Amino acid sequence: MTSIAVHDDRTPDDGAMAEAGAWVARLQRSEVGEADGLAFEAWLDAAPGNRGAYRRAVAIWQEFEANAEAVLAELEPLAQPIPIRRKPVRGWWVGGAGVALAAGLAVAVAPALMVQPLTQTFVTGKGQHQHVKLADGSVIDLNAETRLSVTLTRGERKVVLGDGEAIFDVAADKARPFTVAAADHLVRVVGTQFDVRNRQGGLTVTVARGKVQVRPLTAAVAGRSFLLTPGERLAVAAGGAEELKAVDPQETFSWRAGRLVYRDQPLGEVVADLNRQFVDQIEIGDPELAKLPITGVIVLDDPRAVTQRLSLMLPVRSVPSDRGLVLLRK
Amino acid sequence: MTASGPPERRAGEGRQDDSPLIRAFFEKRENLILFLAARTRSMAAAEDLVQDLYLRLATQTPAAEVKSPVALLYRMAANLLVDQVRSDQRSSRRSAQWRIETRASLGGEDVVDETPADEALIARERVRQLAAAVADLPPQMGRAFRLHKLEGRSQAETAEAMGVSRKMVEAHIQAAVRQLSKRLRS
Repeated sequence: MTSIAVHDDRTPDDGAMAEAGAWVARLQRSEVGEADGLAFEAWLDAAPGNRGAYRRAVAIWQEFEANAEAVLAELEPLAQPIPIRRKPVRGWWVGGAGVALAAGLAVAVAPALMVQPLTQTFVTGKGQHQHVKLADGSVIDLNAETRLSVTLTRGERKVVLGDGEAIFDVAADKARPFTVAAADHLVRVVGTQFDVRNRQGGLTVTVARGKVQVRPLTAAVAGRSFLLTPGERLAVAAGGAEELKAVDPQETFSWRAGRLVYRDQPLGEVVADLNRQFVDQIEIGDPELAKLPITGVIVLDDPRAVTQRLSLMLPVRSVPSDRGLVLLRK
Repeated sequence: MTASGPPERRAGEGRQDDSPLIRAFFEKRENLILFLAARTRSMAAAEDLVQDLYLRLATQTPAAEVKSPVALLYRMAANLLVDQVRSDQRSSRRSAQWRIETRASLGGEDVVDETPADEALIARERVRQLAAAVADLPPQMGRAFRLHKLEGRSQAETAEAMGVSRKMVEAHIQAAVRQLSKRLRS
């Protein structure tokens, strides 16, 4: 018999309800993982009332999720105003950092002035990630050592990515295309999620959702135009060589969650990535070592632990130097 | 746990594949749905996600033998949560806004033709009940619930906005869920 259809109709006891509430809350954490899953699994079967209590808690939770806007509209505004993105945003001047601007200018600004583009520049240093919410609802996550500028106007949403990498989660807006200019190429979307990496002159674009067009920035730049779909990655080397392949986008996106995922990547490139994430710098003592391929997941917690894990994956050892660490052959 | 039957909602899913991972999937399917349901808008949405997970399993050639299939299943499910669910919820919430706005712009007339008037009435009454239950929560708990659940902020963002720890936010949410489930019958 299938157990799916079995519902526990008895009123769950208070203890089970409290635990169910704790599980619903715990599963909202942004870093829910395998351990949470296994603990949840164990809890479900730990007592006969747990499953029913959880079903009930989750049903209420989902009901609020599905009716969030309507319930908010019904509630009194919070006493202390907090800028929220709930209000439908029409122009670039509302929301995020723009709120202060709007508060000061809203009444006086003539419509003609509102179309004047506002360009914001975001820069991250070593070991810094930045989470940026734009006024249109789009979200950008900047990886370490990244510089980009954003210009939102009524007709378009424009990002210029210098050296660096970022994940774009673009709010759908058919009337305002979202473009990212990077390394002689233009990435153009309507609403989607994708990662653009522009390092050492090489550009990669990885798509998780939606469709993304990548084409040369001007007619003077050689190269073809591509339409990428989810799970595809386009790499354009500094020399112009183009390579399109199927990837798991979540691997590319993993840096946002503090992980780097590699498949047969030379140690030299991995170390270059790590040196953007930590102030302590890693040097490779032997040029031959830099070519060794690495496959695996590196958790970015602390440079010492990271090099320790590297030494488990590869025949290397590390010695301290004045800048950080030097990797040597074992 | 007894193995559950073939997946309910979709036909055409074979069970000829006998790999331990696929077997574990069918055994744990309901639990995985419940696991994901905490972050979706409906049970059906959680089932869709679990279906995605199945497709991923069925199309991937497993790398050697899997030591703990159940752990791997939850890892994959958790990965779905980390990256996909949040953004999907965001976009679906946006489209909900869009609907609300479209409706409002048509002069208060109910243009959602597929919802009969009495059902709309019941839905509106239910929204009032939901809102009243939130309004009756203790102030800090209600605020945490509002910011996190209704306005869609992460626990960390909610903690920042309230000037409390993330742990505190989670405790508020836990207590709110308990209190709301007690008061509201779905």
